[in-house]
Amino acid sequence: MLIYAINRILQMIPVLFVLTVVVFTFVQLLPGDVIDTLIGDEQAEDPELRKALEEEYGLDKPIYVQYGIWLGKALQGDFGKSLITRRPISVELFESIPATVYLGLVGIGISIIIAVPLGSLAAVKRNSATDYIAQVTSLIGISIPEFWFAIMAVLVFSLHLGWLPSSGYVSPFEDLGQSLLYLVLPALAVGFRQAAYTTRLTRSSMLDEMNKEYVDTARSLGFSESKVIYKYTLRNALIPTITISGLQLANLLGGTVVLETIFAWPGIGQAIYLAIIDHDYPLIQAGILVLGIIVVCVNLLVDLLYRVLNPRVALN
Amino acid sequence: MASTELQNGRRSIEEAIKPPSLAERMGRYRLIMADALSELYKSKTAFIGALMIVSLLIILLLTPVIAKYDPVKQDYGALRQDASAEHFFGTDRYGRDIYSRVLWGGRRLVAIAVFAVIFGLTLGIPYGVLSGYYGGWVDSIAMRAVDGLLAFPGILLYLLIVTLAREWHLEGFWNDLILVFALGFAFFPEAARLVRSSVLIEKQKEYVEASHTIGESDLYIAMRQILPNCLSPLIVNATVRLGFVILIIAALSFLGLGTPPPTPDWGADLSAARDHMESNPMIAVYPGLAICYTVLAFNLFGDGLRDIIDPRMQER
Repeated sequence: MLIYAINRILQMIPVLFVLTVVVFTFVQLLPGDVIDTLIGDEQAEDPELRKALEEEYGLDKPIYVQYGIWLGKALQGDFGKSLITRRPISVELFESIPATVYLGLVGIGISIIIAVPLGSLAAVKRNSATDYIAQVTSLIGISIPEFWFAIMAVLVFSLHLGWLPSSGYVSPFEDLGQSLLYLVLPALAVGFRQAAYTTRLTRSSMLDEMNKEYVDTARSLGFSESKVIYKYTLRNALIPTITISGLQLANLLGGTVVLETIFAWPGIGQAIYLAIIDHDYPLIQAGILVLGIIVVCVNLLVDLLYRVLNPRVALN
Repeated sequence: MASTELQNGRRSIEEAIKPPSLAERMGRYRLIMADALSELYKSKTAFIGALMIVSLLIILLLTPVIAKYDPVKQDYGALRQDASAEHFFGTDRYGRDIYSRVLWGGRRLVAIAVFAVIFGLTLGIPYGVLSGYYGGWVDSIAMRAVDGLLAFPGILLYLLIVTLAREWHLEGFWNDLILVFALGFAFFPEAARLVRSSVLIEKQKEYVEASHTIGESDLYIAMRQILPNCLSPLIVNATVRLGFVILIIAALSFLGLGTPPPTPDWGADLSAARDHMESNPMIAVYPGLAICYTVLAFNLFGDGLRDIIDPRMQER
């Protein structure tokens, strides 16, 4: 296990390397001068500042030295300043992470609450009407774009019924009740699509488990059907389900760029979106890098967790 | 004596693996097509999906004939009209016919998605086939690279590339071309991995050994003999991928990062409709339904195809 963990962490290095190279190259590929790109128009007029910056970023040196300098700064959390707010980017991004995590976790929670019972029911009652309905619903679910679902939900619940606010965010530490009210629609939009995936997954891993020999053994020993299914089968089936929904987190984080924008949710996705719209290049660069690192790390954690939960995998 | 036997043996091997004549091939294709159709009836899902795809393609091909209006022509005499015999889906805030816009937008969207998937396959198939065929250290290195790419969150790459296109003011054809490259490139590692795993199984088979014996070139064996037997899982995957790619493109243009207006575009039109949701909710419905229909069609077809190809799954 330890060797596997070390191996897996070593494998992350090239991925992170590629990530940094891509993000670094991105700024080089933008039209215009790198200095203009990084510090904005007004300040670029000042020749002394320019010179100082050229020195600082080593712009007279070869490109790989520039990359090294940039990487060194980034490792220390120094991504420069936002062109719009003029605040350090690390602060901007750091402030936006909790909102994204809050939305993501509640969204995944909702999806598991919907999907696990639905998926296992479909598997247990295979080829019944319930199964058919669950399958069709989840197939439709993964075909609906989440932003459309979000718009339709706003249309019905905010504009027509007036039950829920259409967008905005309140921190749960300020006012929990209000915060939850603002959370409902975005979290449903995140959870809905995720639930469709997870239902399909739960169903197929339940079916996998139910075909295994130990299930027959348990039945022949006279355990009740519900005990066989809910105590043994479901527990085993949940391992791959949870793992894969963890790996889906990458998709989910990508989805948050859209959903956070629709619901004006001040997370990292909206920060990146606003940066793109405002041409705030250093913020785009840092945002993508941080989001990428989060995704890669989450994938690593989920993978390791899977090994811990399911030691048999290591034998294969 | 021995040499004639050897020659006979060689001749029969050559007989067995010589490329078929054109007539033979056509006959075989006809058989395959008939076979495919009868297989298609076996899975309700695949059949419905195929019907939906075929009707979609027919509609999109006929767009220049059946779309009554120019999708970008503004008509100030007919602003924000409801659905009528003149305008099947009504008109938007510039008086443009929504029905025509949905059709033209679909043509573009589906074309981009199809080209992107084809591009991904063009990169992925030779890569996967050769990696699996040669094995050894070539394979290890090639697959490490693929793992690295798979760990890279695709959506972040799209955001970077779309931003670059935006900053360079790429429009129309060039913008679409960039999308094709980005989305296709993101598909290539998955395709490569899939082909490789089939090739690993296929290359153990006797016909491959036979071809080696009579001295066929590696390239010929890999691409002309092994590859055709590895295509079915790839077709399933590519079909599902088409739906996914369409969702991504729609999401990007919904964010305003796609083609600039007035080009008809499902995502962008949906986004524009949000401003008038209270007065005219239906304009937010049509492009969304169009996306759902298209993605669902590909998902249904892919799902059903998987059942047909892998009968083990169908029993479930």
